[in-house]
Amino acid sequence: MNIRCFQRNFSAALPPLVPLQLPSPMETHLWYILPDEVKSVALLNQYSELLSPCERENVNRICGDQLKKRALLARALVRTTIARYQMNCEINPRSLKFRKNIYGKPEVEWQNEDNFSPLPLHFNISHTTSMIACGVTVNVPIGIDVEEKQRRIKNNITAFAQRYFSPYEVKLLTAISDPEVQCQEFIKLWTLKEAYVKALGKGFSAVPFKTFTIQFRAPAIRNLHPPGISVSEASEEIVESSNDPTNLTNNWQLALLEVAGSHYAAICMERDKTVGGEANMPMKLTVRKTIPFVEDVCISGTDAVLALGGIIEQ
Amino acid sequence: MASTTGASLKFTSLSSSFKQTQVPLRGVSNVNSVSFPSLRMRPGSLRFRVSCAAKPETVNKVCEIVRKQLALPDDSSVTGESKFSTLGADSLDTVEIVMGLEEEFGISVEEESAQSISTVQDAADLIEKLMDKNCA
Repeated sequence: MNIRCFQRNFSAALPPLVPLQLPSPMETHLWYILPDEVKSVALLNQYSELLSPCERENVNRICGDQLKKRALLARALVRTTIARYQMNCEINPRSLKFRKNIYGKPEVEWQNEDNFSPLPLHFNISHTTSMIACGVTVNVPIGIDVEEKQRRIKNNITAFAQRYFSPYEVKLLTAISDPEVQCQEFIKLWTLKEAYVKALGKGFSAVPFKTFTIQFRAPAIRNLHPPGISVSEASEEIVESSNDPTNLTNNWQLALLEVAGSHYAAICMERDKTVGGEANMPMKLTVRKTIPFVEDVCISGTDAVLALGGIIEQ
Repeated sequence: MASTTGASLKFTSLSSSFKQTQVPLRGVSNVNSVSFPSLRMRPGSLRFRVSCAAKPETVNKVCEIVRKQLALPDDSSVTGESKFSTLGADSLDTVEIVMGLEEEFGISVEEESAQSISTVQDAADLIEKLMDKNCA
């Protein structure tokens, strides 16, 4: 790979990223890339140019072409995604700097430059073998997790659930007799729990999976929409009252999607208390499939995005 | 100790430095009597951890379980230094690997400890620590 050659041609070779407005409060932008669709070695080399030397070194350290490619695409996706939200000046994806918060959650380290104010932008990435996704919000933290619908769990699901899930969730899962359905429900719960922990950004050990319960709830009135998803502190009894102090849903909003017919994607974002409105306001969502610099396709509202849970507006 | 395996001492990160020290021991017939099995040195670092590193058999068993969980090809390299994330393990894989290890070694890993494991060696060390606790 001749890096020097590409460096010279870099700005001429790649079309500019289409600039976008930031998500509005209570809105999530979800971007995803399917590694199998990126085959061009030239394109991968160009993505490699966007990475910091440290990131490039990390990618090179990975054994196996497929894994290397995925790691590269993940960094390219984050950099190009954030660079799209240009307000007054263009952001070069290559110049973005990242750091980790004290718990290890990655965040943008905005540079202190004249005429440049940091964007109130939050992001979170998730990768699975066949999809890499990046969720973006403003003002509030976000966590996402994606998994293949058909992912096979090697351990016994009941044992797995008993080990890691809350008593309510275990009861729910063990009541499912069809092993396929049970596996899919397990994966849905897993992605939602992961998304919640990642949104909190304090690491797995701060909020062990066993300590909270995710529940799909059918709201009384909105029969035409998918049911809301609540998160509450784990306990033996599920309290239905909205005044329940263990109900964390007042602070966190969850949504579950089926994407591209093949993956579950869970999104968790903190409720923006500065935005007025009822507690059950929908999460606005825009989903885009991307191959950075090649194509962006908005798939919200198409068959490629199926809302499975949570109050969502596409 | 390593002499029971009958194989020569092999450390992934130390092989070059030990080849040199074996030369002065020409007079010693059984090289395996030189016992440094508990020393583990990270390249470029001078920290020695004596007698805390896991046995090679444990590390190998962990590698096997990791390979199986991640469906890695036989020729892919998995060693004590391998990081789970570098091998392509996501959070669900890591938890499945931990469960596989619990089953294999008859131990129980706290969720918090499971999260602090990032390499195969970390897992092997934790396993032996927990196994020792079981026997205590």
